[in-house]
Amino acid sequence: MMTEHTLKFFEEELTQLKADVVRMGGLTEAQVVQAVRAVALRDVVLAESVVVTDEQLDTLQHEIERCSIRLIALRQPVAQDLRCAVGALKLSLILERAGDYAKNIAKRAMVIAHAQPQIPLTRSVQRMGELVAARLKEALDAYSSGDIEAAKSVWNRDEDIDEHYNSLFRELLTYMMGDPHIIGTCAHLLFVAKNLERIGDYATGIAEIVQYEVAGEDFTDPRPKWSGVEPAPPVSEVEA
Amino acid sequence: MRVLTLPWRRPAPPPQFEAANPAAQTEFTLFAAALQELPDAVLVVRREGAALSKIVATNAAAREMLRIPIDGEQLVSVLRDPGVLAAVETTLTTGKENTLTYDTGGLRSQALRVWVRPLPTAQTALIVLRDETEARQVERMRVDFLANASHELRTPLASLSGFIETLQGHAKQDADARDRFLDIMAGQAKRMSRLIDDLLSLSRIEMNEHVPPSGTCDLSLIAREVADGLLPTISTKNLRIELDVPSPGEAIAVGDRDQIAQVVQNLLDNAVKYSPAGALVSLTIETDAALNANTLDAERTSLRDSGGGRLTLLAPERSYQTRYVAIRIADRGRGIAREHLPRLTDRFYRVPSQKTGEISGTGLGLAIVKHIVNRHRGAVLVESAPGLGTAFTVYFPRAVTMGEGASAPTVTKPL
Repeated sequence: MMTEHTLKFFEEELTQLKADVVRMGGLTEAQVVQAVRAVALRDVVLAESVVVTDEQLDTLQHEIERCSIRLIALRQPVAQDLRCAVGALKLSLILERAGDYAKNIAKRAMVIAHAQPQIPLTRSVQRMGELVAARLKEALDAYSSGDIEAAKSVWNRDEDIDEHYNSLFRELLTYMMGDPHIIGTCAHLLFVAKNLERIGDYATGIAEIVQYEVAGEDFTDPRPKWSGVEPAPPVSEVEA
Repeated sequence: MRVLTLPWRRPAPPPQFEAANPAAQTEFTLFAAALQELPDAVLVVRREGAALSKIVATNAAAREMLRIPIDGEQLVSVLRDPGVLAAVETTLTTGKENTLTYDTGGLRSQALRVWVRPLPTAQTALIVLRDETEARQVERMRVDFLANASHELRTPLASLSGFIETLQGHAKQDADARDRFLDIMAGQAKRMSRLIDDLLSLSRIEMNEHVPPSGTCDLSLIAREVADGLLPTISTKNLRIELDVPSPGEAIAVGDRDQIAQVVQNLLDNAVKYSPAGALVSLTIETDAALNANTLDAERTSLRDSGGGRLTLLAPERSYQTRYVAIRIADRGRGIAREHLPRLTDRFYRVPSQKTGEISGTGLGLAIVKHIVNRHRGAVLVESAPGLGTAFTVYFPRAVTMGEGASAPTVTKPL
């Protein structure tokens, strides 16, 4: 069923708004990928370019915020059009925050690059980074195609990223206890991992917005958690 | 349903082409058809309004590569890489040509070369994308192979030359020591050749990883065959192996027969290797499985209650509509601690406590499994609890039954 808007302008504005959000998503995605690459390859120049590019995200965020508020004020959309405008507003904030985490990772990459290489650790961080970037890509794909099923599949699989984070956390602690000289580097890597984990959470956030925008309701079923028991706090386990 | 009729998704009217005379018309049609068949992705975009580029024409390769449902789509909705968008923008504004490369990202990342060219019509540009993943892969593989091979071969080699020195020196006359040393040396030589075999097969698999397999094969037959091949080992260890597989013709998957056999082989090898004497190894095939959180969650609670871990080691993109054939191989071995699960498919990764043990292996088995399954667009799932055992489940896309199998029901087994 087709629903034509009587006002062609309105239609164009909505499309433009959504296109801007997807464009911003592409930029955030690239920022995350580049930041992780900067950590893995110890590439200071790449890290600097990520830090500089972050300003573009801020600009885009302001622009999207302005456009969606303008659209809501002037066109007074209802139902799906309203959700679309509100969704764009929420997404722009999420993407901007995710971009900030990418920037923070890039800054840490600059510090890590000057320290003694920790190959196995950076490899673990890289693997987690690739997973998070893939999840972000899927979430944005779901948004640009309005695909609820794809969004749901992203939403359901957040647990994997947590599992990677926990494993990396333990690995880092083991290394730190083994050699106090590398505690500095490891602490930075720990923050990198935490940032990645947060970006992963944002990918689920994007999935929730897709669901809200397209279906007009939140995900209802409980998010699957496989293990009934939470793992013991990592610290005590490593000490044991 | 109204949900999907976003302004975003509305199809544009097909572009109208007009030609001056019928002859030109025929040639034009021919050329358009040729363009459709081009292996490179070809798109024509036109700018409308302030910053929007709309896709006005695509060829088959472009629709396949970028998953474009209909022409008339916004360019950003299928291609949002900032570099490419900037290049298109520049070309539309200045009329200058642009060439760049970009990685698609995701699990099966492709390396694409992108050409952006202005077209004679105003505000219109041509985008050509060529997949250069393979060339890139070859280069990276060469580097990886050299690094891995030289590193991993050094240990057995050092041991070999140590024993040779000893044999040339004071052990020359000692018959007992000589026999013992020669045994160890033979073992190390075998290890080196296994390592080289595994590295070579891993390299070969990686080469083809982005080329999906086309044939079909019967997983029941493969499972039986592989299990039969393991009988000697099983009887020496006094293990029991339990096959719960459907009759031939029911578990048909899309895939390369030899590669799937290698997956089953590697997983069964591991299960047998890590089982204590007298234990049970089970292999189960489910003919029609979906890959979503519910099915992954519904059953198989035996390992869960004991604080074990579960992790998806590999999941395909866009998996929710596909049906799968699932093979589950479970052992009652010592299990793997939760924190080691994410690294299982790393090359040369051995779970620390196993490293010093008597168990031999190259550390490449699961890496090979992962790469093969990734090529098949399948999934790998591991569940493990220390002390209770480990289970690997591998999902391969199910072959759609048709033609000669018309009498067989499409859904062979209700879930």
